Amino acid sequence: MKSIIEVKNLVKKYGKFTAVDGVSFDVYEGETFGILGPNGAGKTTTLEIIEGLRKPTSGTAIIDGVDVAKDPGEVKARIGVQLQSSSFFDNLNLRELLDTFGSLYNRKVDPDKLIAQVQLKEKENNLVKELSGGQKQRFSIASALVNDPRVVFLDEPTTGLDPQARHNLWELVRQVKAEGKTIVLTTHYMEEAEVLCDRIAVMDHGKIVALDTTENLLKSVGNTTRISFEAGNSEKLPDLKQVQNVQTVETIRGRVVLVTDDVEKTLPSLFKLEHESNFGIHNLQVQQPTLEDVFLKLTGHSLRD
Amino acid sequence: MFVRNRQALFFTFFMPFIIMGVFGLVGVDKPPVISLGLAVSEPNEQTQKLIEAIGQNPSFEVSIGTRESELDILEKGERALVAIVPDELLGTSGQKQMKLYLNQNQPQLSQTGLAILQQYLNEINFQIAGVEKAIMLQVEEVDANNLSYIDFLIPGVVGIAIMQLGVFSVAFYFVDLKQKGVLKRLLATPMKPYQFVTANVITRLMVAFGQTIILIGVGILAFDFAVNGSYALLALVVLLGGVMFLSLGFMISGVSKTTESVPAIANLVVFPMLFLGNTFFPVSTMPEWLQHIVRFMPLTYFTNSLRAITNDGASFSQVSTDIYWMAGWSAVLLTLAILSFRFEERREE
Repeated sequence: MKSIIEVKNLVKKYGKFTAVDGVSFDVYEGETFGILGPNGAGKTTTLEIIEGLRKPTSGTAIIDGVDVAKDPGEVKARIGVQLQSSSFFDNLNLRELLDTFGSLYNRKVDPDKLIAQVQLKEKENNLVKELSGGQKQRFSIASALVNDPRVVFLDEPTTGLDPQARHNLWELVRQVKAEGKTIVLTTHYMEEAEVLCDRIAVMDHGKIVALDTTENLLKSVGNTTRISFEAGNSEKLPDLKQVQNVQTVETIRGRVVLVTDDVEKTLPSLFKLEHESNFGIHNLQVQQPTLEDVFLKLTGHSLRD
Repeated sequence: MFVRNRQALFFTFFMPFIIMGVFGLVGVDKPPVISLGLAVSEPNEQTQKLIEAIGQNPSFEVSIGTRESELDILEKGERALVAIVPDELLGTSGQKQMKLYLNQNQPQLSQTGLAILQQYLNEINFQIAGVEKAIMLQVEEVDANNLSYIDFLIPGVVGIAIMQLGVFSVAFYFVDLKQKGVLKRLLATPMKPYQFVTANVITRLMVAFGQTIILIGVGILAFDFAVNGSYALLALVVLLGGVMFLSLGFMISGVSKTTESVPAIANLVVFPMLFLGNTFFPVSTMPEWLQHIVRFMPLTYFTNSLRAITNDGASFSQVSTDIYWMAGWSAVLLTLAILSFRFEERREE
């Protein structure tokens, strides 16, 4: 696959603090690339260096064949940017803002098309401050599309949105991707990364700790599934180690937790055993591994620490 | 965008008019009227004549009453002086006394009133004595250039308006844009920072010219104001003043970290100039030590040259000192602005 972004050994230091510590990755044309990590991991700083908004202490970033350190203006002309805290002029309505942004790229834009694309037709003559959080983010994406960019950067596009607005925004990101644009997004939501990204770089303390396709990352925690339930008659519980393919058995806060490497074999075996000893199975849950588990395994701490 | 900001519009266009209206209509320049009380016990033909003669003098506001009531009012401080008019003015028997009570708390008014009354009594004395006056004063009023307080005030208001525009419309606006992240969003486009600054400076300078035209226009139409000097020179001075105060505005937005700190810093700089910068009162009326400070304030040079050009029709060479000082201030403030102003918020991590 052809790379559209090549990042090599980016380092950004603020005094003694190293925000970005030797980050390298490639983004392929047409994919959605996610940078996943907790707050303060250096995601935004990395993104802003690539966007030409900050100068790296060392390292290079080449976007669409242009070195951002040498020609930031040319890079900015080819990319679309949604910043983490997006804000616009107070006294211009949505249509006027899109026109204004178009003029900054020396382009005549079609506000109607962009506004329709982000479903803000009924708000086109309103000011940004009159929009809801989700609408603001959608408008912010529209403003990132005025120059028909090759790459769109989205910095935590759904932070602070309610679930419904988040799902709307995901749909919009998928549409933009379907137009053939490359998308680079940062997030600290596992679900978002799983749903949207083709490949994910997991970042922690300024470093990339893993970079792979979403599927491979999920497989990397091993093909293990957790089965948990409450036992109705716990005194009747037999030794559950005899259940097929079970690796560990634990009791956590009244729930029995089994870890298995083959859930399809374990479940029938478990039900058979219950039928024989009648210990009762309530509130059965089967959990597939998530990126949260990946992150925990890679860094030794959870995402929301 | 500027036009839609109602607050900015108010401060740039209506505020100067309010200042002009208040100071212009209150009429600080008219001489105060002397309140004179005449106490008459038994009015007769002679006293009536005297009262009429005095009443015709525009300097006096004459009220007539009894001795007791007039002295009472004088004590309340509502008369500058009270004269007890004798019943018989042109009698034959010896010298007549006219007793005067002066209000000590209005020394200027009562002394002026005293001098004028003295004149009337002299006239009467001459008439009685039948003396031919040897020398007569022939008075002709020459109104020097028709200057009134409003003529002094209007250039001051223009100066204030442009100072406020430069400082507040820039300092607040840019700190706000920076704080909200609008500047950062703009930097993510191919636009260069200097292009944005230039566009804003040009807009503000256009507004500054608009303000000048409107204020002076209203002055000419409503207050009999006149521009005696060259309009081109006036435009040059307005341009220079605009650049000077815009630089000050950028400098303030450079040193202010939050929008909340802008008014504190801006008022600290603007307020002393607003009152002392040769705006409402001439610098020469201030205490001497203050004059030494006031003379070096940017606004003082600006209002000085504006006033010299409009009121006195000064030429370039006559206001060149002011212009050089303004150019100097502009250079200093612009340098400080460039050194302190950052498009990004400083990040301390």
